[in-house]
Amino acid sequence: MGTPRRLPSGGRIDRDRPIAFSFNRREMRGFSGDTLASALLAHGVATVARSFKYGRPRGIVGHGVEEPNAIVDLGVGAAMTPNVRATEIELFAGLEARTSRAPWQGAVGPLARYLPAGFYYKMFLHARGFRTWERFLRATAGLGGVPEGPDPDTYDHLNHHCDVLVVGAGPAGLAAALEACRAGARVVLADEQAEFGGSLLAETGPVDGEHASSWVARTVAELESHPDAVLLARSTVSGLYDHNFVTVVERRPDAAGAPDVAGAPDVAGARERLHRVRAGQVVLATGAIERPLVFANNDLPGVMLASSVFTYLHRYAVVPGERMVLCTTNDSAYRTAIDWVGAGREVAAIVDARPEPSGAAMQAATRAGIEVIHGHAVIEARGRKRVREAVVAPLHGEDDRLTGPPRRIGCDLIACSGGWTPTLHLAAQTGVKPRWSDEAIAFLPVPAGDAVTWAGSAGGARSLPACLQTGAAAGAMAASRTGHGEGRVSAEPPETDEPPETPSRALFLVPHQRPPSRAPKQFVDLQLDVTAADIELAAREGYESVEHVKRYTALGFGTEQGKLGNVNGVAILARALGQDIAATGTTMFRPSYTPVTFGAVAGRDVGGFFDPERRTPMHGWHEEQGAEWEDVGRWKRPRYYPKAGEGMQDAVNRECLAARDGVAILDASTLGKIDIQGADAHVFLDRIYTTGFRRLGVGRCRYGLMLHEDGTIFDDGVTARIAGHRYLMHTTTGNAEAVFDWLELWRQTEWPDLDVYCTSVTDHWATAALVGPKSREVLGRVCDDIDLSRDAFRFMDVREGHVAGVPARVFRISFSGELSFEVNVPAHRGREVWDALIEAGAEFDITPYGTEAMHVLRAEKGFIIVGQDTDGSMTPADMGMDWAVRRNKPFGFLGERSLSLPDHLREDRLQFVGLASGDAVLPEGAPLVEVPDGAPPIPNQGFVSSAYHSARLSRPIALGLVRGGRTRLGEILHCALADGRNLPVTIVDPVFYDPDGKAQDV
Amino acid sequence: MSDRPGVVLRREPARGCLNLRGNPRDAGFRNAVAAVTGVELPVESCTWGPAGDAAVYWLGPDEWLLVLPAGREADVERRLREALAGSFSVVDTSGTHCFLNLSGPARGYVLQKSSPYDFHPRNFPAGRCVQTVFAKASALVAANPDGSFDLVVRRSYADYVRDWIADAEEEYGFARG
Amino acid sequence: MLRIRCPYCEEARSEEEFAYAGEAHIRRPEDPEALSDREWGEYLHFRTNARGPHREMWVHAAGCRRYFNVLRDTVSYEILDVYPIGKAPSDDSTGNGA
Repeated sequence: MGTPRRLPSGGRIDRDRPIAFSFNRREMRGFSGDTLASALLAHGVATVARSFKYGRPRGIVGHGVEEPNAIVDLGVGAAMTPNVRATEIELFAGLEARTSRAPWQGAVGPLARYLPAGFYYKMFLHARGFRTWERFLRATAGLGGVPEGPDPDTYDHLNHHCDVLVVGAGPAGLAAALEACRAGARVVLADEQAEFGGSLLAETGPVDGEHASSWVARTVAELESHPDAVLLARSTVSGLYDHNFVTVVERRPDAAGAPDVAGAPDVAGARERLHRVRAGQVVLATGAIERPLVFANNDLPGVMLASSVFTYLHRYAVVPGERMVLCTTNDSAYRTAIDWVGAGREVAAIVDARPEPSGAAMQAATRAGIEVIHGHAVIEARGRKRVREAVVAPLHGEDDRLTGPPRRIGCDLIACSGGWTPTLHLAAQTGVKPRWSDEAIAFLPVPAGDAVTWAGSAGGARSLPACLQTGAAAGAMAASRTGHGEGRVSAEPPETDEPPETPSRALFLVPHQRPPSRAPKQFVDLQLDVTAADIELAAREGYESVEHVKRYTALGFGTEQGKLGNVNGVAILARALGQDIAATGTTMFRPSYTPVTFGAVAGRDVGGFFDPERRTPMHGWHEEQGAEWEDVGRWKRPRYYPKAGEGMQDAVNRECLAARDGVAILDASTLGKIDIQGADAHVFLDRIYTTGFRRLGVGRCRYGLMLHEDGTIFDDGVTARIAGHRYLMHTTTGNAEAVFDWLELWRQTEWPDLDVYCTSVTDHWATAALVGPKSREVLGRVCDDIDLSRDAFRFMDVREGHVAGVPARVFRISFSGELSFEVNVPAHRGREVWDALIEAGAEFDITPYGTEAMHVLRAEKGFIIVGQDTDGSMTPADMGMDWAVRRNKPFGFLGERSLSLPDHLREDRLQFVGLASGDAVLPEGAPLVEVPDGAPPIPNQGFVSSAYHSARLSRPIALGLVRGGRTRLGEILHCALADGRNLPVTIVDPVFYDPDGKAQDV
Repeated sequence: MSDRPGVVLRREPARGCLNLRGNPRDAGFRNAVAAVTGVELPVESCTWGPAGDAAVYWLGPDEWLLVLPAGREADVERRLREALAGSFSVVDTSGTHCFLNLSGPARGYVLQKSSPYDFHPRNFPAGRCVQTVFAKASALVAANPDGSFDLVVRRSYADYVRDWIADAEEEYGFARG
Repeated sequence: MLRIRCPYCEEARSEEEFAYAGEAHIRRPEDPEALSDREWGEYLHFRTNARGPHREMWVHAAGCRRYFNVLRDTVSYEILDVYPIGKAPSDDSTGNGA
């Protein structure tokens, strides 16, 4: 394909570097420095998409972030990114892009008259109607495709701290960053384009006596020379959050397999990088976006923003047409027509809505031989697939009504300018609504504190000198507020030759001979096909709040987020409601400014980094043994160790029997461990636990329940008195950090007078639990300085000595009901001691066991697991554990008062029981009912909390919670299964094995 | 990309570690610690200091981490218990900590990718130390006089942290020490 | 994302390092057993839920692990004051002063 619209010279493109790409499967060529949009326009491509609701042909309207139509899926397969603006895609070799809206979508066309504004709302009022329409609408709705596989690219996050963040590197932003740097501040400057300069990249006039582009180059070079300036190109500031936390999404196209983008740094790594900036001051130099005029058929390809035509002409040497009609309300658009003539193209007319335009712009146009039709506006565009003519009619000088008959002007391009809309999205994200200014004919930002300021056209500046001057001032002020400099600018603002501007006319919806409801469609939001008639309809139907109208019509709901349509929509609504724009107000803007990929949000926290894996010192050994894993909190724990040909139940049976009959070993390193010492340590423990600790002897252990103040069980575990004023607390694996925070909360805030310190030692100790009747013999092989005999080392004793030559603490505690020694050694020596125990146990066939066997062993004994058999609502009494509650302690204990609340004394509370279920292992969580097949609702009697097959008992066992269960032993309930069956279960005592506790005390 | 590694990550051998608690305004406490260990406790927040072959890090207003050559912790703990009186706590945490050293020209980027703390030299010169979020774990980070950073992480998270750093530094070129 | 000055680390840190720990200046009753069920319930469950300045506790979870008080505007999220546990509020303009 040729490029008929490319000028033979000019532009900031590198004609020595042609680039081949494809668009909708057509092979095309552009140059390094092009965007996809400029390359398409160079080819003369008019229609780039079909519209969302009506399926109308749409062309490129803008040149940057505001583009509503040219939305493409970039790339193919798994690496495809949907919904990218063609105006922001730098061309690279091999680029493949497709229109995000498939041709068969947007097929609502002929049915559109049945889909008025508020269609969804109306359908939701009538559920049957919505179901009828839903299938049809789902097929036609939506933008963009879905990638075909996991994203092969990497994404990344980078944190920044700076004194001054400048958003936007146009004239104001560059001036602000320069002043802030010169004052010595740490500066981050971010701009969404590939090159810094903003509007200056298309500027033709001089800045500071040199070409605008060389001023930009000189300024950027100075910024780069500052070691504490971070310059981020291709970086969109997507959100401005509390306390000036700012998210910036940097696109790195070369990392996506496009190494030949001109000027791109040679980088590896992430395709996109989310910069998380914490800024003392934020200067918003976000510029302004030209406002389109709303006239009939203003969506035809060939209707463009005047500033975009200007940019394509100067920056990309592309002329998106041959014969232009310029429709404007202000001076700024005139130079588009003048330069169009300079490029050898024809301007049919400048149609100026102002009754009597005057001033330098007008004079220059006349000098260039351009006809200026004043007091007129383009009321309609005509053409089938693109603009063929503009219908022009005279406007009343003040009211928006026509005063004479229309006439037609042949053209293939209508460049329009309804003025400028400062880009206030970020300013408004702080929660402060912008205010309308009749003078500026725009919403202007309103200060929220003094940590966010703005400069340039974002703040309403209308000329290049004003942008440069306000930028420099804002940069110097922001730097001084962070303690750098005096707030004065370092130099006079650069000079330009821009003439002063004459007043603009406020015009939004251009009147037509027919009212909006009857005229050809007058589009306000091109992306979601919202028309002036839709907004008037919403007003007629009683919607008065701009926020409601937005939701009713979908105005500004697309990815474009109202960048082009917001002000026009508000103005049309204000007029329909008979009030002024200031009273109508604007909608709220929220993050993100432009769509952010999921990849950028996730960063590198994916795959194995999604949630960190905590490993015990013996992790490698378990791996070597081929352990199957269970995730407990963040810990990896061996669940069981299958031998060749063994299934899980076989392995668990074997491991359980080894613990009951011989010797088995468990890695218990994950249990939470907290060192508690100080003269008042026992007082502290007495208050924290239900159990009493004042009389616990040195070298002894005691079980305790920890309650919340509402009386519910929060944690349990064994605490040992290591020395006079020193204790070691064990917590459950999953609760270790919550318990530590809980202890610190009380220690620091309520009881700072207690002499007690808590130190987490979970990671310090490696713990091997030797379990089973042979465990004493095994330990004896590697420990010769502790008397392991039954009377010298009793159940619930702790001793210090050496195991395999390593200083160790050994606890005679048991979570299995068997004779058990828990050997603790410093973690960095854990593996060597574990290996020694395995070796010492070899002749006894020592068997490693995992969490599954651990659960079975404890369930056989009726030991609870907090968080499995309790759910945050159980008291000690509910669990049948009043034996662990000591009343009448001097202070009492946390949660004690709640135990006497009436609700906690109810007799029909859920109570902990055993459940016998014949041959089937019950599903954990399954509900229990009295009658298997009554009429609903069937009262719930409780649920199954734990269920296993017991190898020792050769039958299934289960634990559960049943209403008033302890008084119902022997009663039969029914367990409702997911497949509809009901299993009978008998309520029994929760201790299934060795109820007298003889096995652990041998 | 140059052949010179942008980041060098070195895993340090195990050290003897004691968590020390007490009142920094109590001269008796400070003096007793100094007498036993030869170390002056840093009382300024977020600072650390070397003392011969030992080092001590500020962890909180009444909390320090004393790092000693491996094997000396038991003896120093015993002597501290003898020397200290009143309100104090000494806990051996040698098994808790893994020590990493991060150097190379791109070391700062690795920290920027991993932590919300401001490690810029203006804010974090040599002699500062900070406990902060590190990726999805936490770490004690200390700035060394040679410009490198020491990272002290919990043992159970050490593999995660090292894998994370390896992933984060890939684009800069790296080496293992 | 808030920036909170830790009164112990003596510098502003990012919110990720902290955890919210509930309303400040709620003293545990001296003798819970002497309270009626209603009074105990007030202590357990009722909070001021202020719109505007609010005194609350935060803990520097990833830092020095110390709890402290923050006076924060729940509308603007501006942090007006930070002070140690045990110190009385500088004024009682909020509903939940000591």
